[in-house]
Amino acid sequence: MDLNYSDEQLLLKESAERFLKERYDFEKRNKIIASETGVDAAIWSEMADLGWLALPFAEENGGLGGGPVEISLTMEAVGWALVVEPYLSSVILAGGLVEKLGSEEQRAEILGGLIAGTSRPALAHTERQTGFDLDNIAATATKSVDGYTISGEKPLVPGGSFADVFLVSATLDGTVKLFVVPADSAGLTSTQVKLVDGSRASDLVLDNVPVLASALLGAAADTLAEIEAAYDRANAALASEAVGIMDALMDATVAYTKERVQFGKPLAAFQALQHRMAEMAVKCQEARGSALLATLSVDAPRPMRIRGVSGARAKIGKVSRSVAQEAIQLHGAMGFSEEMPIGAWFRRLYAIENTFGTTADHLKRYGEIIRDPAMLSGSLLREPV
Amino acid sequence: MDLLMTEEEVRFRNEVRTFLDTHLDEGLKRAERLNPSFLADPAVGLKWQAKLNDKGWVAPSWPRQYGGTGWTLAERYIFDQECERAGEPHFRGASIKMIAPVIMRYGNEAQKSFYLPRILNGEDVWAQGYSEPGSGSDLASLKTRAVLDGDQYIVNGSKIWSTLAHHATRMFALVRTADTGKKQEGITFILIDLKSPGVTIRPIRSICGTHEFNQVFFDDVKVPVSDRIGEEGEGWDIAKYLLEFERGGAFAGGMLRAMLARLQRLASEPLPGGRKMIDDPLFMARFAEIATDVDANDMLELSAMSKVQAGGNPGSVPSSTMKIERSRIRQSIAELAASILGTDALRWEEHRPLHELPEGSEIDEECKVASAVYFNSRSQSIFGGSNEIQLEIIAKTLLR
Repeated sequence: MDLNYSDEQLLLKESAERFLKERYDFEKRNKIIASETGVDAAIWSEMADLGWLALPFAEENGGLGGGPVEISLTMEAVGWALVVEPYLSSVILAGGLVEKLGSEEQRAEILGGLIAGTSRPALAHTERQTGFDLDNIAATATKSVDGYTISGEKPLVPGGSFADVFLVSATLDGTVKLFVVPADSAGLTSTQVKLVDGSRASDLVLDNVPVLASALLGAAADTLAEIEAAYDRANAALASEAVGIMDALMDATVAYTKERVQFGKPLAAFQALQHRMAEMAVKCQEARGSALLATLSVDAPRPMRIRGVSGARAKIGKVSRSVAQEAIQLHGAMGFSEEMPIGAWFRRLYAIENTFGTTADHLKRYGEIIRDPAMLSGSLLREPV
Repeated sequence: MDLLMTEEEVRFRNEVRTFLDTHLDEGLKRAERLNPSFLADPAVGLKWQAKLNDKGWVAPSWPRQYGGTGWTLAERYIFDQECERAGEPHFRGASIKMIAPVIMRYGNEAQKSFYLPRILNGEDVWAQGYSEPGSGSDLASLKTRAVLDGDQYIVNGSKIWSTLAHHATRMFALVRTADTGKKQEGITFILIDLKSPGVTIRPIRSICGTHEFNQVFFDDVKVPVSDRIGEEGEGWDIAKYLLEFERGGAFAGGMLRAMLARLQRLASEPLPGGRKMIDDPLFMARFAEIATDVDANDMLELSAMSKVQAGGNPGSVPSSTMKIERSRIRQSIAELAASILGTDALRWEEHRPLHELPEGSEIDEECKVASAVYFNSRSQSIFGGSNEIQLEIIAKTLLR
């Protein structure tokens, strides 16, 4: 067992933080979300140059072979800086699925473009009724002469408004499969949606969209299992993003209460407020522990993966809400203004709590897993494989 | 970065499991299940300690030269987890975990060779003499006085909340030897033989019905200078060193996990009417939340352990976080377990220790102890530096 970061990992963290500090301050971010597209193409291509877009992929696919820990460190920095570019949805979620399910040609084409910064794929899987039952999919694919015809609705596709290509799930002969659907396909309408955290998604409607036979992703694979695993990787990444935001809120609150003078002394000099900030720090520490467990569970067998990932999302959902609410309270009215990042962090945490499963969904999923007494009482240490 | 055990650690874990299977008998386990307090009834604890001593495993954290195991931190963690899973009586308290490290670090050769073996074989059981009736968390305000008279100190005053002092043979105590300078500077660390003339022990029954705590009075008690640890006036530094062991030196992940597993067993038993708490969504939501707390706390512990193993320091914020959360988790488990009782929460069994009562079914016995465990759990956030003191430590690091 070793839970210390390696020197390379610390270097990665430092470089990510430096890049975002120099190129992605709060003012810049506000300009991006106010722009028509809601994305900064220059930043995206700089992310490509820095290797961010290649980070999780295997070297044979043109990637850098980074693991969950590297992703986690990057996501902490993404959280701190409130990056709205679709790193999570394009790289981790859609890119991850293409790497797992795609043929050599599909990987070369989609991952190639993604890593180069010229393509931003998005996963369109969940539907209005899906909730947390990932197999509850109403969209359908039917065989046609030279491929398939897809119909259905995919609301709130994360990163959808930035996507040039969608991975759309639909049932084919009763089984959920994924299809590669270019954004300019006939019969596909994508409506841009603004999200609560300033980022964008799209409501997708597919009306008899024709795709070629080569659009089917992973014909023989257990697609649902891979989609679930991809969401778990994304959820672990969200847990780390939340940790980055919680740390940011903590630091901002400490800095603010040291400066803000009331009744003749800085707010930070009042014991009642000191203890509230100490309680925030306790929650930040706990969230860090949870996120680390999620990070180190994404490649574990399914029950252990669920325990780590959904446990972290449930725990972090709860403590992050408390930290964010306290940060607002301790900032007083200032925490309410859009000029300060406090509210933006608050809103992003709220969005995270409602992305890829709510806090309650994850608690329920975790609760099911720990009904197995062996899972509940088992050590977090694992036997060598 | 990973959570993997080495092949050797797996072998070690299996060896520990086998030992526990053979030596931790049902009687010991039942006594522990029925114990509402932090430490086992001494009769039970000493019996278990003797078995561990025969195996050479009584002091996992001690270096080998003093009769400890010399295990790595990971091995100690694994040992602890296995002991908790198996339901061992908790008795590795003040003697092994607190005074022994102090004697090793600050004691002279004579003190080491006399006291350490007596701790291992159970000949001495130690009580803590820190708190005083008027001092509370303001430990340095202590008033118990030791006046040097030739080659002995004459001690007068009183210590309170001394756990198991009525069974202990000795007490380590902080006493005032000077009033000059800062109040911390006049404090000295001494070892008191509790059989000495002038020692009176008054039991304090706690709200869980058990006699665990005591007030100890000293009336012209003579303590040889040779039983002083370190120099006169060095007591405060020694006390701080000791508190590090009390707060951070113990793993709790195993204990919390074991308590949770026990709660799960209890909740899986059909209640009168056939209903099971584990099927109640409200119960399960609360239970699952606590389980995520345990996982997070366990990860903080493992991270701290990793840092120490790599030659670093866990830092005061994570250490205080673990102390605070550990207490809250124990309290929430105890509270949730007691919530299962229904109207049986009104019944109160006065007899102590509970394991002397005739055997009942496991669920009946769990129900018998649940209220007492809940009451006792409130002490978790008070002893060893209250949660408010821990918040002060965190605030100091963050804000000043």
